Amino acid sequence: MSNIIYIDDEKYPKLLKQIGKEAPKQLYFKTNTLKTNIFDNCLTVVGSRKLTSYGKQAMEELVGKIALAGITIVSGFMYGGDAVAHQAAIKAGGRTIAVMPCGIDRISPEYQKELYQEILDNNGLIMSEYKGNMAPTLWTYPQRNRIAAGLSKALLVVEAGKKSGCLITANYAKKFKRKVFAVPGPITSSITKGSNALIREGAEMVLSAKDVLKYYRSDLALRKTNFFESLSPSQQAGEHAQTSRFKNLPSKLRALNKNPKNIEEQIIDLLKREPLGADELSRQLEMPVSELGVKLSILEMHEIIKLRGNKYGIN
Amino acid sequence: MALTKIPSVLYFGLETLPVDVEVNVASRGLPGFEIVGLPGKAIAESRERVKAAIVNSGMEFPSRKITVNLAPADIPKEGSFYDLPVAIGILSATTDFPIPEKSLFFGELSFDGTLRHTKGAFLLALFAKEFGFKNIFLPKDSVNEATIFPSINIYPVERLSQLLAHLFNRQKIVKAKRREIDDLGLGSSEFDMREVLGQEQAKRAMEIAAAGGHNAIMIGSPGSGKTMLARALPSILPPLSDQESLEATKIYSASGNIPPGASMIKIRSFRSPHHSTSLAGLIGGGTNPQPGEISLAHRGVLFLDEFNEFPRSVLESLRQPLEDGVVNISRAKASIKYPARFMLIASANPCPCGYLGHPKKECTCTPREIKKYVKKISGPILDRIDLHIKVPIVDVDELSQNKRTAKFLESSESIRKRVCQAREIQQKRFQSKAICSNAEMRNKDIKRYCSLSKEVEKILNQAAISFNLSARSYFKMIKIARTIADLEGFAEINPAHMAEALQYRQ
Repeated sequence: MSNIIYIDDEKYPKLLKQIGKEAPKQLYFKTNTLKTNIFDNCLTVVGSRKLTSYGKQAMEELVGKIALAGITIVSGFMYGGDAVAHQAAIKAGGRTIAVMPCGIDRISPEYQKELYQEILDNNGLIMSEYKGNMAPTLWTYPQRNRIAAGLSKALLVVEAGKKSGCLITANYAKKFKRKVFAVPGPITSSITKGSNALIREGAEMVLSAKDVLKYYRSDLALRKTNFFESLSPSQQAGEHAQTSRFKNLPSKLRALNKNPKNIEEQIIDLLKREPLGADELSRQLEMPVSELGVKLSILEMHEIIKLRGNKYGIN
Repeated sequence: MALTKIPSVLYFGLETLPVDVEVNVASRGLPGFEIVGLPGKAIAESRERVKAAIVNSGMEFPSRKITVNLAPADIPKEGSFYDLPVAIGILSATTDFPIPEKSLFFGELSFDGTLRHTKGAFLLALFAKEFGFKNIFLPKDSVNEATIFPSINIYPVERLSQLLAHLFNRQKIVKAKRREIDDLGLGSSEFDMREVLGQEQAKRAMEIAAAGGHNAIMIGSPGSGKTMLARALPSILPPLSDQESLEATKIYSASGNIPPGASMIKIRSFRSPHHSTSLAGLIGGGTNPQPGEISLAHRGVLFLDEFNEFPRSVLESLRQPLEDGVVNISRAKASIKYPARFMLIASANPCPCGYLGHPKKECTCTPREIKKYVKKISGPILDRIDLHIKVPIVDVDELSQNKRTAKFLESSESIRKRVCQAREIQQKRFQSKAICSNAEMRNKDIKRYCSLSKEVEKILNQAAISFNLSARSYFKMIKIARTIADLEGFAEINPAHMAEALQYRQ
């Protein structure tokens, strides 16, 4: 189902209209269930195409919680950061809007067909200012960023290089007087140079989903929708999940463990600090990798830790 | 006597057939020298070598019409070893010396009358044993290859004139003694496992692979040490058993890969063909099908570095041999079966640029490129690889300074001890079977030899759900767990073995 909204339509997103001359004259969109309140509480999330495992982890955690609170996640359907943002929102049961850099009938990049379908199936929205089967070009990407920035009252940047599309979006957001949030990254990584610079320039640093949700709270309170209270149990659950899951470890696992200090706890402590590979863990715990592998498999099987690339991290 | 008949042999892959070399020196007709009986190029050229060798040994080459027939006449023949029987046949026809009963003559002649190292001596000895021959005359350099049965007299021949002196009973050639097989090259691998810093998990995986004969694939960025790990692998491999040694030597002898003076192959071969290798080069082929790299790696290691760079057709051709341990090569002239029971060790980069997941360098590949790259290796091939190993980048400077890591550096020798013990257990287990290692177990063998306790089964079933294991992976995990249990000397697979095995899943 494809549709058009014109700028003077009532359904036209209000925030987007506010950007004045730069607001697109018409918007094409695809959706299974059109609910205009999808535009009410939007957060645009952008991240590098080459998200690091840290960036991915941070984004999954933040976006998951934010989407759970009922905030629509807007992103640009690019691979990497954008795709992760969409996926995290869908996984949390939230809604997401994909702003395409190409004609509304085209899926670009086309190998993300599955994600495209998932967005539609989960009450999401696909949107573009271009009609038909137009191919994306170099200049349509920044134009798309303009709409993405305009749709939301805030922008969350997870990882952005020094000269990146994410910074273009951030510049639009500043221009439209939107709030900019940025996730801090290691100062040594080239992929977080841009997002760290944003923080120095005044973007709000995000250390947890709460930092973003606080900003939306005043608005939500007005609507008398108590998002926060409905959120807190699950959030609490999230925070305590690791320890409680750990307590639920089968007793035979404990029996396997001859060391009274409990290797599993030591592994978890180390991984809470930073993700590590099996070799590094074996060195730090001074434990042969054959024994360590046993623990890792079982912790992974109970979804307490997770292998990302070559390294284990807390799930 | 103008007609002599000398028994000889015909090679057909690893099989041998008896052949008669019939030499007729006619008293009438124009002088000439002809070989019939579908001789190959090397045999047709043998005329020149035989003529020159006889003349240069101080004998007279008869200027009469000489015809040599290699019977049966309808099977094509190859090889340079017919030089000696042809020369003996001609000389016997003209000078009338008796040819000893039940004797085989074998070897390529040089123009000066000396004999050169000739391929196939090992197969010849097996043939002699099978057909009840008593004496073999063959080049000195090839003697060690043939001295395997004490019941056969092996005569090392240096030159044609020496052989004639022996046949005329003037000066006897001393029979070769059976040499004790020396452990040549054992443990003298390029690298010792101790030299590989870090990579504890990958090294453990190599140990498991060596112990159970499992196939393995290593994935890691350039410079992470994949190639070094693979090259250190021979240092922890167990020696070949007698049966395995026999099989491997047959292939090496048939393809002429046994160096002069060498005897049976006692160490496992390590073949690492370049990724430009053709299908025929890897699998075997040619008009007269020759064994390929996979057969030369029989009972040893086939190391395919840069696995993704091999043409897809070449990789796909590995499927059937990986499953069956033999390869059938059919060509217009012949269809030949070569054994190919090898351990496949593959190494690959995680993405086209190689730096996906690298701690310092940035990967410049798009997800699409990575997908395409990964897809180059098909599912059926990955399915046949038991151990999947991730090889991370190692900070060598840091490791070499860290004293704690030294504690974990185990020498190849001590790893090898464990590997050998595990192999012994397997040999006992599969005594009545045609297989030698855990990796060769089929599903029904797994059911028979790897009984799982309820506890172990529970772990495996849970893993199957949380890690989404396929049916084939499920059985692979049992095989690996069996090998880990063998390494630790356990008769039963316990939960820890299974949990460790899960580390190496796909």
